[in-house]
Amino acid sequence: MARVKFLCDADRCIECNACVTACKNENEVPWGINRRRVVTINDGKPGERSISMACMHCTDAPCAAVCPVDCFYTTADAVVLHSKDLCIGCGYCFYACPFGAPQYPKVGNFGSRGKMDKCTYCAGGPEADLSPVEFQKYGSNRLAEGKLPLCAEMCSTKALLAGDGEIIAQIYKERVVKRGYGSGAWGWQTAYKETIAI
Amino acid sequence: MRLGAHFRFLIVGLALALTVAIAQPAAAQQINPTANAVKEQQLLDALRGNPSGEVQGRISIPDGTAATLIRPAGREWREFHQGTMLRVGAIAVLGMLALLAAFYLVRGRVKVEAGLSGRTMTRFNGFERFMHWMTATCFIVLALSGLNVTFGKAVLLPLLGPQAFTNVSLAAKWAHNYLAWPFMLGIAMMFLVWIKDNIPTGTDLKWLAAGGGLVGKGHPPARRFNAGQKVIFWSVVLGGAALSVSGVYLLFPAFAGGVLNLQFWNVIHGVVSMLMVAVILAHIYIGSIGMEGAFDAMGSGEVDLNWAKEHHSLWVADQMKKGQAGAPAMQPAE
Amino acid sequence: MLIKRKTADVQRGKLQAAIAGLSSGVMDRRAFLRRSGLVAGGVAAAGALQIGAVRKAQAAGLGPSTGTKIVKNICTHCSVGCTVKAEVANGVWVGQEPTWESPINRGTHCAKGASVRELVHGDRRIKYPMKLVDGQWQRISWDVAINEIGDKMTEIRTKSGADSVYLLGSAKFSNEGAYLFRKFAAFWGTNNVDHQARICHSTTVAGVANTWGYGAMTNSYNDIRNSKTVIFMGSNAAEAHPVSMQHIIEGKEVQRANVIVFDPRFTRTAAHATDYVRFRSGTDIAVIWGMMWHIFKNGWEDKAFIAARVHGMDDVRKEVEKYDPKTVEDITGIPGEQLERAAKTFATVKPATFIWCMGVTQHSVGTANVRAICNLLLATGNVGSNGTGANIFRGHCNVQGATDFGLDIANLPCYYGLVEGAWRHWGRVWGVEYDYFQSRFDEVPAKGGRAARTRKQNMETSGHTSTRWFDAANLPAEQVDQKDNLKAMFVMGHGGNTIPRMPDAVKGLEKLELLVVCDPHPTNFVSLGGRKNGTYLLPICTQFETSGSRTCSNRSIQWGDKVVEPIFESVSDYEVIYKLSQKLGFAEPMFKNYEMVKGKYGMEPTPESILKEINKGGWSTGYTGQSPERLKLHMAHQDKFDFTTLRGAKGSPVENDFYGLPWPCWGTPEYKHPGTHILYNTSLEAKNGGGTFRPRFGLTRERTLPDGSKVNDTMLAENGSFSLNSGIQDGYPEFTMAVLKKLGWDGDLTPAELETITRIGGANVDGVSWAIDLSGGIQRVALERGCVPYGNGKARANAWNLPDPVPVHREPIYSPRVDLVAKWPARPDERTLRIPNLHTSIQKAAVEKGIAKSFPIVLTSGRLVEYEGGGEETRSNRWLAELQQDMFVEINPADAQSRGIRDGAFVWVSGPENNSKARVKALVTERVGKGVAFMPFHFGGVFQGADQRGNYPAGTDPIVLGESVNTITTYGYDPVTAMHEGKVTLCQIAAA
Repeated sequence: MARVKFLCDADRCIECNACVTACKNENEVPWGINRRRVVTINDGKPGERSISMACMHCTDAPCAAVCPVDCFYTTADAVVLHSKDLCIGCGYCFYACPFGAPQYPKVGNFGSRGKMDKCTYCAGGPEADLSPVEFQKYGSNRLAEGKLPLCAEMCSTKALLAGDGEIIAQIYKERVVKRGYGSGAWGWQTAYKETIAI
Repeated sequence: MRLGAHFRFLIVGLALALTVAIAQPAAAQQINPTANAVKEQQLLDALRGNPSGEVQGRISIPDGTAATLIRPAGREWREFHQGTMLRVGAIAVLGMLALLAAFYLVRGRVKVEAGLSGRTMTRFNGFERFMHWMTATCFIVLALSGLNVTFGKAVLLPLLGPQAFTNVSLAAKWAHNYLAWPFMLGIAMMFLVWIKDNIPTGTDLKWLAAGGGLVGKGHPPARRFNAGQKVIFWSVVLGGAALSVSGVYLLFPAFAGGVLNLQFWNVIHGVVSMLMVAVILAHIYIGSIGMEGAFDAMGSGEVDLNWAKEHHSLWVADQMKKGQAGAPAMQPAE
Repeated sequence: MLIKRKTADVQRGKLQAAIAGLSSGVMDRRAFLRRSGLVAGGVAAAGALQIGAVRKAQAAGLGPSTGTKIVKNICTHCSVGCTVKAEVANGVWVGQEPTWESPINRGTHCAKGASVRELVHGDRRIKYPMKLVDGQWQRISWDVAINEIGDKMTEIRTKSGADSVYLLGSAKFSNEGAYLFRKFAAFWGTNNVDHQARICHSTTVAGVANTWGYGAMTNSYNDIRNSKTVIFMGSNAAEAHPVSMQHIIEGKEVQRANVIVFDPRFTRTAAHATDYVRFRSGTDIAVIWGMMWHIFKNGWEDKAFIAARVHGMDDVRKEVEKYDPKTVEDITGIPGEQLERAAKTFATVKPATFIWCMGVTQHSVGTANVRAICNLLLATGNVGSNGTGANIFRGHCNVQGATDFGLDIANLPCYYGLVEGAWRHWGRVWGVEYDYFQSRFDEVPAKGGRAARTRKQNMETSGHTSTRWFDAANLPAEQVDQKDNLKAMFVMGHGGNTIPRMPDAVKGLEKLELLVVCDPHPTNFVSLGGRKNGTYLLPICTQFETSGSRTCSNRSIQWGDKVVEPIFESVSDYEVIYKLSQKLGFAEPMFKNYEMVKGKYGMEPTPESILKEINKGGWSTGYTGQSPERLKLHMAHQDKFDFTTLRGAKGSPVENDFYGLPWPCWGTPEYKHPGTHILYNTSLEAKNGGGTFRPRFGLTRERTLPDGSKVNDTMLAENGSFSLNSGIQDGYPEFTMAVLKKLGWDGDLTPAELETITRIGGANVDGVSWAIDLSGGIQRVALERGCVPYGNGKARANAWNLPDPVPVHREPIYSPRVDLVAKWPARPDERTLRIPNLHTSIQKAAVEKGIAKSFPIVLTSGRLVEYEGGGEETRSNRWLAELQQDMFVEINPADAQSRGIRDGAFVWVSGPENNSKARVKALVTERVGKGVAFMPFHFGGVFQGADQRGNYPAGTDPIVLGESVNTITTYGYDPVTAMHEGKVTLCQIAAA
């Protein structure tokens, strides 16, 4: 069974934010919601690295575990998706998520949250594949078209990899061997409880 | 139970907004950013022993929380929420229910020993009763909607199915968000109105020593509120305050200052509310089926003189004195 | 609003199936992913994830959404030239897909490229023509706008002369648009025509062209994959040219290359270096000479290369002796050891390339900086082969093309100069008499002690530069060397916040009688200052709403097809230039060679026919082989080109061609020259993309020996240096009819070619050169004989015609090191391009006034990845604007602490001229060293603390406004090109 993952090769990421705007473009994500973001660690110091981060589609996803209405589900490709019809905007997934992935549009009183929104791995939602209603709620469904998430496809330096976890791990491994350095598969331990041994 | 540990790390987390910076002493003269690259493992190691730590960096969008790259602490909160929280809740609620049932079976209803006198006196005036019932109603809705968030998935979801359950939960969420405000108002009012009668005194110790009259025979003397009621009062006031503060932060995440704080307030909110549900269950029991004549205090506001004499002898004496001084006279109760 | 994929395949997948874990698609997807991995595994050796082909096949198998067509265009932001693949449904651009087949970007983009779709949905675009009436914007029709503008231009022309109207063009034009605008200036009769190259790489073009012939990047982004050492200096490619980093980082990985970043600021590029060298802004020459000192001392130079292909290196050697490690460390702040290591690496770990950008060019010694770098490359033999070269990353999407087509004060299209022969050449191509152009130019009266100029002399005099347009409006008329001051600015696609001294620009704006801004978005020209009348705003579409070719930094030319019709009432550049020419009465002669089609509100020329005219005349730069047909063929077969060599695959329709036919692409399109991937590359045949240094500075050069006797050094290549299989195995001059005859090769010309040459030559057939022979015969014969048409010469280490023939370090005009000013002073005051250039006066005054004490922080500027140029377009794009919502100044933690400044708090940055100040947010970071501050230059719309949002027409104000760094930046102009000193000045910062 294919198990898709994201891998950001921080030794290549240059914080160009293509992944961020590609996501906005592909999924028509509104202002204020960032399904993907790039964080720079040790900014301005030798050793600085930038990492593109979004929902990592965790194994045993904490968001799904804590959701009070059980609106999450995992696809056969191991993409963690959720139903906006079922979501009540309680914010628990945001407390639990180690990657800050869940986002909420500000609606209603008291700054309370609307339906949660997060990276779908460009795999839409529970609605019929490629239907307008699916697009409206979740954005595009590239997986159903046989394409990978646009953020990874458009990554300027091919730092962000998407695809079968074993394959992208292999690519990363080969890179590290070839170039002789690697700062790690960021987030993998937390999301998948594994690292890539070189 | 790792509750203590949770609290400890959460409090540490509050105190520390940890920015991990691995200082890389540059090799003499050569600054090689490639070789000096910060490694994820270093950062995670640095977080070890400080489970509330976060891997933080810089981001240009004006959203402070977005600058957190990895927050392993989410896992800890999840463990709390899916473990401790459920156990605390279940034990508190079910345990209290069991306790009350057992007590009822053993002790039965606490009767007015002298029998009803037929004469009543005013225990709570209309304003006090309005205040109580507003708060009480809110609390019941808040408690049920809160319990739903914790236990609904296990209890209600299988019964209702996903969409109906979501509709219920959504309505519950709105109710929770809105009724929180009159609830907080009620707590504040009760505090102001009843505080003067709820200062603990020596009498309370005696009352407690005598088992409050619930166990054994005879009624220890009490003023307007006996020690048991004072416990309820302070539980409600302090618990309510805790729920209010934590609840407001959860309602306005922007003011809470980060997810770690939200997690902390969520833990407070969850644990306190479960304990409070338990306390209030006891309160409801004793105020209704648990004791003859008690409900009237908040029902009509008029209590039977004998009931009052048994449970609040000193208060009755006080009132009598005031009555002589022209206070409202006691009325015969048909 | 749902504007994507309305008509997608909806049969597959049901709700339950989706919840249950996706039924029918799973196998396909898994199979696909597995296969993607197999492909990726194979290519991973090269560090790549290539999933394009498989993905495409898979997508086809699933059945594409109906009614969607794919259109390819080129990203309109930086010069890398990423192909944008647009999905268009019912005339609406609904999606962007990665273009895996593009050899330049291989599917990828940066933040800007990945969000270009927004540009044609942009609700903040200018929607219709407008004019300012008593401070209020009024909607007008196109006809009214063109009529009023034309009348006013004619009035100014009658009163003050043609030179009083400044024609400011754009690096956002297509090649055809740029060429058309230059042609428009010729018909209008002025050389006051310029564009953004002035402020980004004018000094590069001047420096590089004066060294070895052509003013362009010598290699390509792709070729950097071959480099074993890469130096970046004053270039932050990670933010300014992100997709180029794909090639550089992968190259670094595969070659285990050294990447050395020289920058005053620890940039995102520096984060990927193997050696980061911090130095003081404005000391580039000292840095380079410091490296050369080690190279010469240790004999690391490439002696054979120098002997065969370089003239005057000994003069450089003599100058470099002054730059011993101690002196250099004092000037630059670089520890001696570190610089020596960099020098050794660059000279010995070859091939090595040098990449530079505006950190090098935007200085009062910009041209000299560039010349110093060229010398470093020449001394180490790092030019003219794979993995080497001067890799000049240009700025805008078509700044190279716009430069090539002479949106420049000193050139006609394709660098033809302003001499009579050049005018006559283009007159022949355009079919217009030389005398006509002469009649269009002003006569300049004698003033300020300068002699009068005839029309012909004025026609051959370089124009006024865009960096100082406001000086031409503000200075006393006597000091401005043209008939009258500047009275009108006609601005197409150019920001108003891109050059220093904005307080002076505000004064200049108020002096103008007419200001016309043609742009998709209102630029800072509109928001700045307090104009009440005489301002027009014309909506122009982006390049996504029209077709045309554009030239990337590596000289490859790519054709972009119109994605959607121009939105709102906007029209193409072609149409607006045509309309105005009509109004001004020269549309007929100007447009007679073009195929005219119906545009949005009238006729417009087709870009194809304009390009064909370019092909007819662009001989000097090899812009003749790139017919629209060939360019379109390349776009259709992008996947056939090699990723590193850019060569077209065997057996494909583009066999042997280099991608995009990088100029020079000699001869006619039919000759099928493949273009030139790497300039001056002698390891290839001339007709197969090879080349030599261009001898354009005479054949010999007199030199005085120490004993006072004189010798003539040859300027032609020696010691067996020539391109592969050259018919002349030695240096040789440029080809003319006379040379052909001397070689006895004139018999190779066809009768038709000979007839054309005879017609052009008239009385002097022998004088017809490869550059003006419209038949292409001379080029063809030279190439067939294995020779490069322009000759085989030496590059110049000593460029004797430049102000500093051998560069010398000169302190910036506003130097923090006043103690060094006496020894390394700025140039004496002089006149540069029609106005005074007061280097010394200003520098001396700054020292005397103690500016360095009251303004102790060095201020430099640069790009952010999210924005581009003046930034109005990108700051109006909601996907980009969200990522950078505030103008900021980077300040070192030590400086911040001593001033009580917190990260994120507002500060006042004040500058040493005009009491300038700017209110911005502080970004406290170690990116900048102590005593250095950095500000991005994309912001505008807030001026000295005052929000000018209200100055924009309602609904067209960019989402994000901010102070412009150029409010603070100061005087300082390169003596050759009048490039401003945007990269080093002084400032003070205080908490607000």
